[in-house]
Amino acid sequence: MDVSSLAAALPSLVAPTMNLKPRLAFPLHPFSARGGGAHPRGSVAVGCAHSNVPPPLRRAADEEDQGEDADPRLRLHRLAEEFRAVPEAGRARRLLAYAAALPRLGDADRVAANRVMGCVAQVWLVGRCDGAGRMRFAADSDSELSRGYCACLISALDGAHPDEVLDVDPADLAPLGVAAGTRSRASTWHNVLVGMQKRARAAIAVREGRSPAGSFPSLVIGRDGTVRAQGSYAEAQIHPCIAMMQAILYKRSYYGPTFVVREICKYSTPFRGLRKNGTPTLAIADIAL
Amino acid sequence: MATAAASLRYFPSSLRKRSPGDASGGLVKLSHRRALSAARVAAPSREAEPVASLGDLTRVEFPILHQEFDGAKLVYFDNGATSQKPNIVMKTLDEYYRSYNSNVHRGIHVLSAKATEAYEGARTKVANFVNAADSREIVFTRNATEAINLVAYSWGLSNLKQGDEIVLTVAEHHSAIVPWQFVSQKTGATLKYVGLTKEEVPDIEQFKGLLSNKTKIVVVHHVSNVLGSMLPIEDIVTWSNRVGAKVLVDACQSVPHMPVDVQKLGADFLVASSHKMCGPTGVGFLHGKLDILSSMEPFLGGGEMIADVFQDKSTYAEPPSRFEAGTPAIGEAIGLGAAIDYLSQIGMQKIHEYEKELATYLYESLISVPNVRIYGPAPCKTDHRAPLCSFNVENVHPTDIAEILDLQHGVAIRSGHHCAQILHRTLGINASARASLHFYNTKEEVDVFVHALKSSIDFLTSEL
Repeated sequence: MDVSSLAAALPSLVAPTMNLKPRLAFPLHPFSARGGGAHPRGSVAVGCAHSNVPPPLRRAADEEDQGEDADPRLRLHRLAEEFRAVPEAGRARRLLAYAAALPRLGDADRVAANRVMGCVAQVWLVGRCDGAGRMRFAADSDSELSRGYCACLISALDGAHPDEVLDVDPADLAPLGVAAGTRSRASTWHNVLVGMQKRARAAIAVREGRSPAGSFPSLVIGRDGTVRAQGSYAEAQIHPCIAMMQAILYKRSYYGPTFVVREICKYSTPFRGLRKNGTPTLAIADIAL
Repeated sequence: MATAAASLRYFPSSLRKRSPGDASGGLVKLSHRRALSAARVAAPSREAEPVASLGDLTRVEFPILHQEFDGAKLVYFDNGATSQKPNIVMKTLDEYYRSYNSNVHRGIHVLSAKATEAYEGARTKVANFVNAADSREIVFTRNATEAINLVAYSWGLSNLKQGDEIVLTVAEHHSAIVPWQFVSQKTGATLKYVGLTKEEVPDIEQFKGLLSNKTKIVVVHHVSNVLGSMLPIEDIVTWSNRVGAKVLVDACQSVPHMPVDVQKLGADFLVASSHKMCGPTGVGFLHGKLDILSSMEPFLGGGEMIADVFQDKSTYAEPPSRFEAGTPAIGEAIGLGAAIDYLSQIGMQKIHEYEKELATYLYESLISVPNVRIYGPAPCKTDHRAPLCSFNVENVHPTDIAEILDLQHGVAIRSGHHCAQILHRTLGINASARASLHFYNTKEEVDVFVHALKSSIDFLTSEL
């Protein structure tokens, strides 16, 4: 999504009478990828000295035959079996090998909007629906082990149908845990899966003609009309809202500013009140979206 | 004093045992709390025996340390997050719940009297431990975080207004920052932060410059949980008092590791948590000067903190009860008392000396690993460095290091922002790894850690 072109297009959609001139501004999260992080190494072929080089992860997207092999749950199951067959000492190495083979995201994608929340390391996830109606995912992290986890998830879910993505149960991930018991790492798996499922849900909603966003995260609309995510958690969720906002604002020229506010407020906590003539009374800064 | 004599009686039994095969004895006499003398090793008559360190001697009292994961012995280096508990503390908790658990203060029966005596006795132990002038200056809270919130809500909301300033450092723990952000939002007071020098300690000159007659309270750590550095609290109090500002000291990383004397420090408020000083979780304390506490509004409302309750109003108890609403963590406070007894028998000065050695050894061993960058001042550049090191390895994510250390070597360290995001941002990093030690750790464990670290780094970078 090209933010600058969106911002340029928006003012024309909103009449000057309404103070709302939304320009979507996404400040880069201060924790931008630098310092202590790994240098991009490019995609390196897996060539380590160990004799048991793991086979490259097959992706659902690459599968010619669309049979059961493409089902993410089965792929995860197979992956779990592969891991179980490896002695525990070797599992971390396998993850690192997968990490080495995972392509890195470009700087444009390593932004706050794509952050997967809840992980100790920084993890970025990009997901969209392709022309054939299948989910395409890419992910990256500044931690190699996290990249390994991401590589596994992507191999299972990239190219799958959105419904199949939603069918995956976090419990399916448990056998893939590199160590016994719950660790904080387990949440990286879980969080990335949740992120993938959110994007799948949004894709299904669009397909069915519904709005993609469930509810907005915490947003602040400034007096000058800028729309800002409030807090890094919100920043990470704002991406699906862009299309949503765009759709609402586009209709403004037909239905008027009140419509815009009402639509926005459908995805927010109820606004404070209505004037006698039915127009909403609210200071723009008061909107808790 | 009766308590000192009583505490002598349960001298940790391990310290009396001779180690097997030790011909000459190797008995170590530990200091009496009052005497505070350094331990003397009984001179071995024939062979030159390696002197058992404080870590060697005390760790037998900490059963949790003696476990293995896949053949690797646990090396617990996450004491900055929480400390382990000696047998006596667990026994005390067990005994409390088993034989005299009862609600405190109001009960008439013998169980309640016993519980009250033990609970208030624990308060006195805390007061003596930090040399408070009066045990009424000790308020039991859930932890240091709650204690800071208590000051923020009870003192801060009533005494701060628009235009007032709260001075902190960028190295403060989130628990010392966020409550004051709430206060700032509610009162209009502003927060001012002291930055770091190039030695990576808070800039004292900048601090002096920030003080003005607008400054109403200064909130600072005693020892930093990331940098390992110590602030000159007495000087800070002197300078702050000159402009009429109060001082709150976050002593979470100092009280467990060295003698802390609140009268000497002179701060108005001091907070610490039990779980970092070999006590149970669920209890911590605020030390506040009695005249200030007496002027403060209550924090939480409920039973215990009232004098009389009517339908439309209530009158409140004197401190410390005023700030202890509801049934307290009775057993846990008593457990904290037992922890204090245990620490006092060893002697905080002795613990401090040993940990200084450990701190230097840890730093020097760690810095010898290639590509390691440690944050905070070097031991030679400061008169105090805590036995902890926050560090990063070039090109390797700290979380990966912590994970491999854990998975493959049984070494427990921490990785992340250590509740100091502002500090990490100031240092220009997202996260760091941290190894933090306590008096039951040993130099041998440091060796294991460094070896494991080198091995983990190799493992993580070998794919290149």
